Amino acid sequence: MKRLYYRIDKCLGCRSCEIACAVAHAGEETLFCAIKQKVLPRKKVYFFEGKNFPLSCLHCKEHPCVDACMAGALVYDKEKGLVIHNEERCVGCWICVMVCPYGAIRPDINRKIPVRCDKCKNKDEPACVKACPTTAILWQEEDFLLEVKK
Amino acid sequence: MDKESKRSIDIAVQKVLKKAEEENIKTVWDRFEEQLPQCGFSQLGLCCTVCNMGPCRIDPFGEGAQTGICGADSDTIAARNLARKVAAGASAHSDHGRDVAHTLFLLAEGKAHDYQILDKNKLKELAKELEINLDLPEEKIVKEVAWRILMEFGKQQDQLIFIKRAPEKRQNLWKKLGISPRGVDREIVETLHTTNMGVDNDYKNLIKSALKCSLSDGWGGSMIATDLQDIILGSPQPIRGKVNLGVLKEDFVNIVVHGHEPILSEMAVKAAKDPELVKLAKEKGAQGINLAGICCTANEVLMRHGIPVAGNFLHQELAIITGAVEVMMVDVQCIMPALKDVASCFHTKLITTNPKARFPGVEHIEFEPQKAYEVAKKIIRLGVENFSYRNKDRVNIPKQQMDLVAGFTKEIVFRILGGRYRATYRPLNEAIISGRLRGIAGIVGCNNPKQTHDYFHTTLAKELIKNDILVLQTGCSAIASAKEGLLIPEAAKEYAGKGLQEICEAVGIPAVLHLGSCVDNSRILTAASEIIAEGGLGEDISDLPAAGAAPEWMSEKAITIGFYFVASGVYTVFGASPFAVLGSKNVSSYLTKELEELVGARFDFCDDPFKMAKLMIEHIDKKRELLKLKPLMYQ
Amino acid sequence: MKQFVIAGNSAAGISAVEAIRTKDKESKIIVISDEDYPSYCRCLISYYLAGEVGEDKLLYRPENFYKDYNIELILNKKVLRVDPKKNRVILEDKTQLNFDYLLIATGASPKFPDIAGIKKRGVFGFRTIKDVKDIEKILPYTKTACVLGGGLIGLKVAYALHRRNIETKIIIKSRQVLSQILDFEAARFVQKKLEENGIEIIFGQDAVEIIGDGDTKAIKLESGKIIGCSLVIVGKGIIPNIDLVKETNIKFNEGIISNEYMQTNIPNIYTAGDVCESFDITLGTYAINALWPVAIEQGKVAGLNMAGESFKYEGSLGMNSLEFFGLAVVSLGMYRIKENDTSFEELKICDEKRNIYKKLILKNNLLVGGILIGDIRNSGLYLRLIKEKVDVSAIKEKLLAENFSYPVIKDLLKKEKEKIYV
Repeated sequence: MKRLYYRIDKCLGCRSCEIACAVAHAGEETLFCAIKQKVLPRKKVYFFEGKNFPLSCLHCKEHPCVDACMAGALVYDKEKGLVIHNEERCVGCWICVMVCPYGAIRPDINRKIPVRCDKCKNKDEPACVKACPTTAILWQEEDFLLEVKK
Repeated sequence: MDKESKRSIDIAVQKVLKKAEEENIKTVWDRFEEQLPQCGFSQLGLCCTVCNMGPCRIDPFGEGAQTGICGADSDTIAARNLARKVAAGASAHSDHGRDVAHTLFLLAEGKAHDYQILDKNKLKELAKELEINLDLPEEKIVKEVAWRILMEFGKQQDQLIFIKRAPEKRQNLWKKLGISPRGVDREIVETLHTTNMGVDNDYKNLIKSALKCSLSDGWGGSMIATDLQDIILGSPQPIRGKVNLGVLKEDFVNIVVHGHEPILSEMAVKAAKDPELVKLAKEKGAQGINLAGICCTANEVLMRHGIPVAGNFLHQELAIITGAVEVMMVDVQCIMPALKDVASCFHTKLITTNPKARFPGVEHIEFEPQKAYEVAKKIIRLGVENFSYRNKDRVNIPKQQMDLVAGFTKEIVFRILGGRYRATYRPLNEAIISGRLRGIAGIVGCNNPKQTHDYFHTTLAKELIKNDILVLQTGCSAIASAKEGLLIPEAAKEYAGKGLQEICEAVGIPAVLHLGSCVDNSRILTAASEIIAEGGLGEDISDLPAAGAAPEWMSEKAITIGFYFVASGVYTVFGASPFAVLGSKNVSSYLTKELEELVGARFDFCDDPFKMAKLMIEHIDKKRELLKLKPLMYQ
Repeated sequence: MKQFVIAGNSAAGISAVEAIRTKDKESKIIVISDEDYPSYCRCLISYYLAGEVGEDKLLYRPENFYKDYNIELILNKKVLRVDPKKNRVILEDKTQLNFDYLLIATGASPKFPDIAGIKKRGVFGFRTIKDVKDIEKILPYTKTACVLGGGLIGLKVAYALHRRNIETKIIIKSRQVLSQILDFEAARFVQKKLEENGIEIIFGQDAVEIIGDGDTKAIKLESGKIIGCSLVIVGKGIIPNIDLVKETNIKFNEGIISNEYMQTNIPNIYTAGDVCESFDITLGTYAINALWPVAIEQGKVAGLNMAGESFKYEGSLGMNSLEFFGLAVVSLGMYRIKENDTSFEELKICDEKRNIYKKLILKNNLLVGGILIGDIRNSGLYLRLIKEKVDVSAIKEKLLAENFSYPVIKDLLKKEKEKIYV
């Protein structure tokens, strides 16, 4: 099960990942379309004390958003390590935004729907990984961290 | 430390920022934070948007692409980006110079009857320099001067006339290097040409082109602006004034002039005293009309008329947020687009005047030299009429204001040192030679919300004068020191070293001298040349115990100024963040090391005012040593 | 093989069942509901009434959920009484069911004011699908509706009725809407939004009588004013459904009292959800937080412990997220402090132009609550700071800054479950 990790010393804050994310989730997957459809990136690069921190839904093993969803619109797929958001069922109550311990679910107020990383589930790897010009975004199996430590 | 004091050292600014926060008005500092993180590729100069195969980026960590699609590497991309900025900066000052020359031409043709020649001596000197027959009637001379100067912009061959003002050794060096500038427009165009896709790929050649282009600004466009403004509007004389937001008056109609070109604001000064308008202001319940300035327009009207200065670059929104400004009249350069939104939170009318600089949805009253006074009067009248719409409950002007003395020019400043009757640079040169004065430093440039506002300017100025270095300032940097009280002669006692203090006391000048707006950096170049001509301190500007700094820069113009300073032989330190070139080791090292071998001066980048002072002092001491000057008198 | 009986088929009950099944796939689980539907999204019934969500979307879990989880579901039967001594429950049809472990998650019922005519046709609470269906029946004949109470339920119903083109008036005794989750200033934002969209709100008044002969025709207010309406919906709070324990030694106050394991004073009887009182971490006392996510949390804790774990509940707190006509609102923990109480500190942004209001309440440098209106980004971070009792003195001025985000609090957190940065 692959996950996204970030090497903060490599992030230059260019926000290419944000743009790639919006494009990947736009109807025609073009920048023009993303802008026209006002697609919000599901990922955001934050800045704090001189460093840049990309952040998107972590698909946590404990997932307070799934628990809290009063519309039953969120499901955790254990095998894929993925919180699946069923937009059809979502009523835009923002409860998932309120309980996300990372602030990684972002409210799209205009569309009345929360946006969150879906690991680009239809692609071989998330668009942000491809878009990062400095390989600051890693798409790795979970045990990769253990190897890093070694 | 609270948020406000991290943003600025100026108490007045802190107070207005608190007000802004209470009233939910965003300022430049808030917008800066919203921009974070800023793109690292752009910061490093590694993003190229020159052609439509791109945009391209070079991976500074060496893992991704190392060249753009065309094959340009980090050196070419960084140098190309930098050269473009230099050309842009040069274009601004130079176009300003052109507009002044155009006004002089209209004046000669009798079409700009609101203006006259106020400094006839300077006109004659310039005519002499241009080898114009002085026996001609004045209007003929004026016309000839104006025409010849206008021709400087489009000159296709030969070098610019003012190049001759530089020490001979420097002129020869420029010729040898092939960077002696021809027509101002030509150099800007040529630099832009070389940065096109697939033209100049050699970073050294690109930087050389940028150096040449910058010289066409420093010894061309900017110098033209300064000289012709002095001729038309009068050369500044030492004058007292006041500075900071406290100069806005609660019971007066407040008109703020902001931008860079003094041609219109000069008329605003006159119109603010127009009895008809003053009477109208009183009818509206005000005590009168109070004119104040921001940025370099402020410096221009301060230098010539002692008009109070409301603040520097980062004050522009704050002046409006006091709630007491009826009209902010703007011309060109450094005018934040945000002013429109800030003004819309108040009764303040923002008025654009220059056809080159407009805001969507903002009232535009176009300035024409032919109808200068009429236009100025119309704008001031709008302000007076707007006084009734001021919401008194929202007015909150900070009390802070400071006295200052400004109005120094290359003609005045150093001659003063010799006393009014011995108008010569000799005493200044002697002071340096004897070791009473360690050297001279220029501190110039903008403000930048990346840094604590004014902290760098004032800390650096204090450090330098403490070490017996006479500080010359222009632009927003000068306003920073003025607010800190460094521009009053008495301040020398508190801050200056003993040698500098003695000089200041003897002559009655401050240890920090205000030389004018940012186009007036040209005054520093000519002063340096005169010092060399006076003798005893070497043969070239690069021999002088002198250094320059732009500690809080933000504008492209600042880069160009840095370039012409270095190209003229002045070691120059930049604060804030380096020009976006760090992504190229070669370009960085070329600017900070190898340039020295080429032009006898180089850049340094430093983000600490104390270290910056140390670098400049070390440089000055090194130059003193090379000149074998006497040891410092007091150490 | 044990036998688990779950009284209640909503958030707490389902959450408990799911938790039990993570530990125990074998034992028998019986779920009892007094409603006629499989578990549904109770909070969505106002959307259902509004016509924004179809009945098919109300199902909280897929149709085959009970089968997949091997659960016996008893619908349409109320649990009349618990018999702790004999470890059994008695249903209203006298059926007796034995249990090894019991979860009381019977929820709550609307509180009806004691006024004349309250039993008339056309007066409803708003809690169940049945309520919606009953309301639906008289909607075709309804021009005007009155909603009693300006709390969450009241406003959501008013919004739904408004969407169905019913002229809707909200009658509120206090001087603000949502007085249980917002301060006065924040409530003004919501009020403005509702009024702008044509919902009338009458403050400082209570209904004193429902007028009509059998069918509701009008209501009478304290002021004597009479408002003609054929539909009245009561949103004046709830009462926990505790009748089943009243004649037992199970301790209750307003709700059934639970310890930190969601256990009642009887070791094999647990409680969770709207029916129970649990420790509130921001109030520091026992309280009922009748909220969907709280019920889920509590059900999960109860379920795990019933299945043999020893899992401590960190405590509940009031937390609400809602949305009216595009205005997002989040309220967390403490939302108002007493005037002149200097032991608290308030951080606040109030920007009427952008429709943004943010307030945080701190005590001894710990965040204890807050309100976010218009801009609710990162509200989960505030919730986390409250729950984890993080000392925020170092980041106080950043808390309401435009670019407040996870990295700002990252290094202040004691533990981090997920690895993000390498």
